[in-house]
Amino acid sequence: MLTRDLFGLSFHNLLLHKVRSTLTSLGVIFGVGSVIAMLSISEGAKQKALAQIEAMGIDKIIVYSKKPPIAGKDSGQDNSSMTESFGLEKKDLIHIGKMDNIDRITAMRDGRKKILKGLQRLDLKLVGVDRSFLIDSVSDMGKGRWLAPADFKNRRKVCVIGKNVKRKFFSLGERRVIGRFIRIEGDIFRIVGIVDNNLGTQYPELGSPNDMIFIPMSTSMALFGNYAFTREGRSVKILNIEYDLMIVKVMELEHIDNTSKRISAYLQTSHSKVKDWGILVPLDLLKQRERTQNIFTIVMSSIAGISLVVGGIGIMNIMLANVYERRKEIGTRRALGAQKSDILLQFLIETVFLTTLGGLIGIGVGIGISQVITYYADMPTVYLWWSIVLSMVISSLVGVVFGTYPAWKAAQQNPIEVLRAE
Amino acid sequence: MTQQQNSDKSDHLVRLIDLYKTYYTGTLEVPVLKGLDIEFNKGEFVGIFGSSGSGKSTLLNILGMLDTPTAGKYYLEELEVDQMEDHELATIRNKKIGFIFQSFNLFPHLTVEQNIEVPMVYGNVPKRERRERARELGEQVKLGHRLKHRPTQLSGGECQRIAIARALSNNPSFLLADEPTGNLDEKTSGEIIKLFHDLNDQGSTIVIVTHDPALEAHFDRTIHLRDGRISHGSPITFGSPHYVD
Repeated sequence: MLTRDLFGLSFHNLLLHKVRSTLTSLGVIFGVGSVIAMLSISEGAKQKALAQIEAMGIDKIIVYSKKPPIAGKDSGQDNSSMTESFGLEKKDLIHIGKMDNIDRITAMRDGRKKILKGLQRLDLKLVGVDRSFLIDSVSDMGKGRWLAPADFKNRRKVCVIGKNVKRKFFSLGERRVIGRFIRIEGDIFRIVGIVDNNLGTQYPELGSPNDMIFIPMSTSMALFGNYAFTREGRSVKILNIEYDLMIVKVMELEHIDNTSKRISAYLQTSHSKVKDWGILVPLDLLKQRERTQNIFTIVMSSIAGISLVVGGIGIMNIMLANVYERRKEIGTRRALGAQKSDILLQFLIETVFLTTLGGLIGIGVGIGISQVITYYADMPTVYLWWSIVLSMVISSLVGVVFGTYPAWKAAQQNPIEVLRAE
Repeated sequence: MTQQQNSDKSDHLVRLIDLYKTYYTGTLEVPVLKGLDIEFNKGEFVGIFGSSGSGKSTLLNILGMLDTPTAGKYYLEELEVDQMEDHELATIRNKKIGFIFQSFNLFPHLTVEQNIEVPMVYGNVPKRERRERARELGEQVKLGHRLKHRPTQLSGGECQRIAIARALSNNPSFLLADEPTGNLDEKTSGEIIKLFHDLNDQGSTIVIVTHDPALEAHFDRTIHLRDGRISHGSPITFGSPHYVD
């Protein structure tokens, strides 16, 4: 039998029973649909997470201060004291700066000021930064300029604000913000620029650069020193923290692991009393995240794959019934000279057609599902070309795997029996 | 005329020599054909008669190469087909035998034209040639105007004509019909038998298996089976057909 005739015949037979063919391939349609949707959702989540990590810079090591776990009231230490000191210090900055493979360090200090708009407290931070912060935080200038060397040298009371600060502080209509003044706990700063960090960088304990008001580190030191007042319940505490964050840029990326280990080792010995620091290597995080995401993807697609197997079994079942129902046709074809292989291929191609068409429709369904999820659940979805190709290949394979037995069964039908049964 | 034609031909088309067929169901042996010697010559019109259980269906299956004998020889145009493999038999069925069934066995979802083409499809005949041949055959069975219809739109007699056209499509060595008038009324039966006569006059060898004694007069020669043996009739061709009864 000519190949073209074989394909024509199989296709013709499927079209004869449109409803049955559609119902038969539903399993594959939803199987492929869920594979595509799962993969696009997990890929979207992965890319979003990776972008956030990458936004911290993969050639950076982030070292930060964190409030140590409460020493415990039983221990009695420091409890009575009004001053609480913890976190990264100047000597740490100097020591780490002298290590191998360190390009530069950008330090940041949170002023811990209450930022008010009228009587409403805004969730913003006033931070003192080094001049290199703009580059090291992978941020851009939206408008105006970044803090200039003269601002640092002269301890000027100027500030650069994050883009969210502008939105929260000023009403929508106000276009011209640069050159205006902002008042924070009695100090007045002139705004010289707006920072835009569109990568979604989030620093531990501090949050996004878009929610920060940056002033020169020297100005911060001159105005506030190392001290900050906080109120906890009724008691007022004085916090003594020199630096809240250090962005350590390494020279050679391949040695970033060693460098971060050395920094950790140093901090462990110099801050041996309490663990009041944290370290974060975005590259490590990236790798770790990628690993967990890959596992997630495998698990999700396996679950979706099971539905494909279930769909395949459904198809096999219906094809077996189909073979029984079409015994007369098979017998007649055999009597008219069809080879066993002609019958086998006819039924096999019918099944593969069904599953491949099901796969095609399934891809559409999958894309539809992920679009709906993106729209309603606000989750990013990313289609991978290989997932679409793979779905097509797998759905055709499902046809081959689950179509072979019914097709073989059809070919084995004894034409005499089949004709006699009529 | 027909008799004259037949008597001129001496070359055998089909030879069955000491043919046995036994079915085995578990430990039970059921002998169905018990040593048949039958010959058909080219251009003959032969009727094989027998009641239910006489072995005529089994003989039909073996003649049609849907089944193989347990013992004995089957020659078709000097080809020994009794021991052939399944795929060889399928090829011979396709090229050398034209099957006609009692209930026509047309494919309801195909047009008349496509139905006639089916054996040619399995014979790898190119599409254009198939169309051409189907049209010719349609004309030959006087249904040239119904080629685009479906079998469900045709009467029983018309369906059987199409089935005959289909059987002729690969120019087979002989036509093998199983109760071809079994599902038809008397008038239509007569028309179909006439068509067989016409085809026979044009040179086709036709073997019809039936239990209908009314058809007996139409054949050049008849073979009667009873209990797996030839009860009467002429298993081999003599100068002219004769009837023992």
